[in-house]
Amino acid sequence: MKQIIILTVNNKVYEIAVAPNRTLTQVLREDLNLTGTKEGCGIGDCGACAVIMDGRPVNSCLVLAVQANGSDITTIEGIAEREKLHPVQQAFVEHGAIQCGFCTSGMIISAKSLLDKKPKPSELEIREAISGNLCRCTGYQKIVEAIMDASQKMKK
Amino acid sequence: MLLLPKFDYYEPKELTEACRLLSETGSKAKIIAGGTDILVNMKKGLISPKVLVSLGRISRLSEVERMNKSITIGSHLIIAKLAEFDLIRKRFSILASAAKVLGSPLVRNRATIGGNIVTARPAADLPPVLMALGAKVKLKSRRSEREVALDDFFIGPGATVIKPDEILTRVIIPETPSYTGGHYIKLGHRKALEIAIVAVASKITLNKPDGVIKDAKIVLSAVAPKAVHAKSAEEVLIGEKPSAKLFEEAASLAMNDCKPITDIRGGVDYRQAMVEILTRRTLSFAWKEAKKGKKQ
Ligand SMILES: Cc1cc2nc3c(=O)[nH]c(=O)nc-3n(C[C@H](O)[C@H](O)[C@H](O)COP(=O)(O)OP(=O)(O)OC[C@H]3O[C@@H](n4cnc5c(N)ncnc54)[C@H](O)[C@@H]3O)c2cc1C
Ligand code: FES
Ligand code: FES
Repeated sequence: MKQIIILTVNNKVYEIAVAPNRTLTQVLREDLNLTGTKEGCGIGDCGACAVIMDGRPVNSCLVLAVQANGSDITTIEGIAEREKLHPVQQAFVEHGAIQCGFCTSGMIISAKSLLDKKPKPSELEIREAISGNLCRCTGYQKIVEAIMDASQKMKK
Repeated sequence: MLLLPKFDYYEPKELTEACRLLSETGSKAKIIAGGTDILVNMKKGLISPKVLVSLGRISRLSEVERMNKSITIGSHLIIAKLAEFDLIRKRFSILASAAKVLGSPLVRNRATIGGNIVTARPAADLPPVLMALGAKVKLKSRRSEREVALDDFFIGPGATVIKPDEILTRVIIPETPSYTGGHYIKLGHRKALEIAIVAVASKITLNKPDGVIKDAKIVLSAVAPKAVHAKSAEEVLIGEKPSAKLFEEAASLAMNDCKPITDIRGGVDYRQAMVEILTRRTLSFAWKEAKKGKKQ
């Protein structure tokens, strides 16, 4: 039976009827048309589906939409300030940290969560923070450099 | 896309209500905590419970309480928070270190301590350290409540003494005496998203900084159907003065205290050799910490 849930996604409040067996990834993509969140593996291994839920980055493929009832969620669509890219997004573009782009939403979610908590992370802390996000293209180096650069720029 | 089978979903706000739901729905129902294990198994089609009872809205289950001679951790506390709490980092540092190497940050923000215990995977990260710390779990059903030492909780891979209508509500860890130190090492091919090839948790208590070993716990993981104490190694340490030579002796005894298998992650011989090395290493780290008088 469907249940009514309330989600705050990127500062907008939605009231949606969902079946309990639908994941947060499905509801974001299919019901709210927020297709920036990707589903790779569906079982917690790749991090492509990462969103920020009540202040913490999580794999949305392993969260039931009903479990997220009442939560505050930020997806990749909520990271930029209108037309202006978030410094992490800007740095990803400038450093060539995006190739096919499939991992990018999740990477940026993890990176932003880190910088919100720790504005000046060490390289090791950056690598740890994105350790749940797989990238099969870049070899990670450019992603790490982009996050370091973003952290420098955000300090100013 | 992997889809979930259909089920009914309940999220009671009270524990008594959760117990009632479980007892009334019987074996058709399963608890869902963080969901990082059960949802994966459901997506893979390994299980398809007709009812899921979430513990997520029972706020008391996420609390850490300091009691007279112990701390108790609510079963729904997420793994990330285990490593964040000062009390746990300072006084039960091996628990914090095991929490830091479980899965990935994204998994740790959902996975719970209770879920990690009840899944009873032979290579799970928290059981070995909790066993080294002498932890107990509290199990509650509609009609009864009992406490079981973690040493007696696991039966084998995925199997424990918990009954289908019981909920693991709290993990109770006794305060440890002064001059106690501990260490946990998980050996894997990589640093994140890794299931241990071998993991060892050790904890020793000295009678005084340069004294003899009063109490020793060595728990080996991923080398038997469940985490096991290296009993003969623990025994040889008691009453002795720590030294590199003593730790070597304990480490070689530990090799024979386990029964590893050969699988995709490692062979029997390799695993046994690693048990020896990790036992020795964890003991020397534990000794260093114990000498400082710090409580583990
Ligand atoms: C990508 C990935 C990586 C992982 N890496 C690791 C790792 O490195 N180390 C490791 O140890 N584990 C790992 N895991 C496994 C899993 O994340 C952990 O075991 C986790 O702690 C399970 O907790 P949960 O709250 O998500 O459990 P759930 O999935 O919610 O539940 C698991 C099982 O326990 C039962 N259950 C849960 N809570 C209770 C309770 N309070 N009372 C009674 N029954 C209960 C459920 O019914 C279910 O059968 C990984 C999982 C994923 C997806
Ligand atoms: S799609 Fe969620 S972790 Fe891979
Ligand atoms: S850019 Fe292709 S997976 Fe990361």
